[in-house]
Amino acid sequence: MSERYDVIIVGAGPAGLATAYFLVKKGFKVIVLERGSEPGSKNVFGGRIYSYVLDKYFSGWRSEAPVERWVRREKLSLLCKNDVVSLEYEIGREIDGYDSFTTFLSRFLKWMALRVEQEGAIVATSVRVDEVLFDDGKARGVRVGEDKLEAEYTVIAEGANTLLLEKHSLRDKISPKDITIGIKEVIKLGREKIEERFGLIGEEGLAQFLLSPLFGGGFIYTMKDYVSIGVVYRPLIKDQVEAKDVIEELRLHPSISKLIGDGIPIEYSAHIIREAGYRDLMSKPYGDRYLVVGDAAGLLLNTGFTIRGVDLAIESGRLAGEAIDRISKGEDPSIYVKLLRESEIIQMLKKFRGVPEVLSNHKIYTVYPEIACRILKNMYSVDESPITLRESIREATGSRFSMIKFILELLFMVKNL
Amino acid sequence: MKKMTVEERLTLTKFEVHSKPHITLDLQKCRRCDLKLCISSCPAGLYTLDESGEVKFTYEGCLECGACRIICPEGSISWSYPIGGFGVQYKFG
Repeated sequence: MSERYDVIIVGAGPAGLATAYFLVKKGFKVIVLERGSEPGSKNVFGGRIYSYVLDKYFSGWRSEAPVERWVRREKLSLLCKNDVVSLEYEIGREIDGYDSFTTFLSRFLKWMALRVEQEGAIVATSVRVDEVLFDDGKARGVRVGEDKLEAEYTVIAEGANTLLLEKHSLRDKISPKDITIGIKEVIKLGREKIEERFGLIGEEGLAQFLLSPLFGGGFIYTMKDYVSIGVVYRPLIKDQVEAKDVIEELRLHPSISKLIGDGIPIEYSAHIIREAGYRDLMSKPYGDRYLVVGDAAGLLLNTGFTIRGVDLAIESGRLAGEAIDRISKGEDPSIYVKLLRESEIIQMLKKFRGVPEVLSNHKIYTVYPEIACRILKNMYSVDESPITLRESIREATGSRFSMIKFILELLFMVKNL
Repeated sequence: MKKMTVEERLTLTKFEVHSKPHITLDLQKCRRCDLKLCISSCPAGLYTLDESGEVKFTYEGCLECGACRIICPEGSISWSYPIGGFGVQYKFG
């Protein structure tokens, strides 16, 4: 590896590959270094990507990329011990206009890497970068074991677990309260069963977001032949099911197991998620001859109902590409932050900056789902002494419950979501 | 519907195990830790207590999620990624 590159990119995730894609299109000589044996072999996500960003930059992607299903049905469910309360939205449009699709990230990244290679960049796998080489604060490449690889610019796209940035004191270790662990299982069920049981036709897909006292937050995404289920685990909550068993609370829940119980689990995966949003954004995601992109820079948006990582990663890769191009022509490195601030990304993160606090309130997983389930149970249970909605609410919320506090909390949520 | 243990679940995922552990513990620090959040929050259940109350750890089934290093209140966990090409191999992700 003695050849010289213009840009070395650490990590072949969505942000790293996107940066490579935009730089190589501008004529830079680029190499992406990935520690996994293939692009995507270390990546985990829930299951959905938003289409707009691919429409903008990757011509022909709709016929090439490994799309599993187009999300037509969006479902929010409160999963109590036995009962379930759901709210569903079905998008009433033609299929190819859909805003998002389900996929497997490992497969999607293989496709992205292929596009990057077609443009002329190199994606080298099984290469773990041990450190960035600095000369008086100026990045001049990376060290891989005994080898040194030099370049004009280094892009750090190492993902949510920021080992390199911490090693070089460019970022503090994230606080435990600001992470969750995404714990996921892929279940093989077969196309027919999926379409029948989830009420889907052809290419249609379902994305389901769950809140439950049994496991906290969760998700379900339908693929062609598979279903991805997952839990968003908050490690600091006391007296909860251990992380190693928590996925079973979802898989074996009566209302879920009747849908997927006869399926065959085929992969178990987990990864931390940075949850702090706007607060987590690096104030200076650049330095002399280096830039930080994607999750590593804090670019992940949780709106409370949807989590957006891949589209922001691709967008930040585009801006990093543009920034390096301009820096190489003499502009100041701070142009990267200027571009980020002018883009939608920072605006969106700022707009949704209240969400982390709402999502870290345990009551949205414990108390509120129970209240909803009990109210509806009372409403729809028929016996000799029917009760009014008002009485149901009073019964469900119980005597130790403060209605005023409840209303204040709801207002707080509405304000921040 | 049968409950699966974490050991059963880990057999679903592919690993290329390197002979050198990528995670090591400083047991001195573990001894003075009351919380031991590593045990409850490892999705692969790799942290356990032995009969004498010492934290035990195996690295072979590590999903490389990154949680234990961040959660450990004592800074006892030295965590690096496995050598390039080794460790967990996600096919779906």
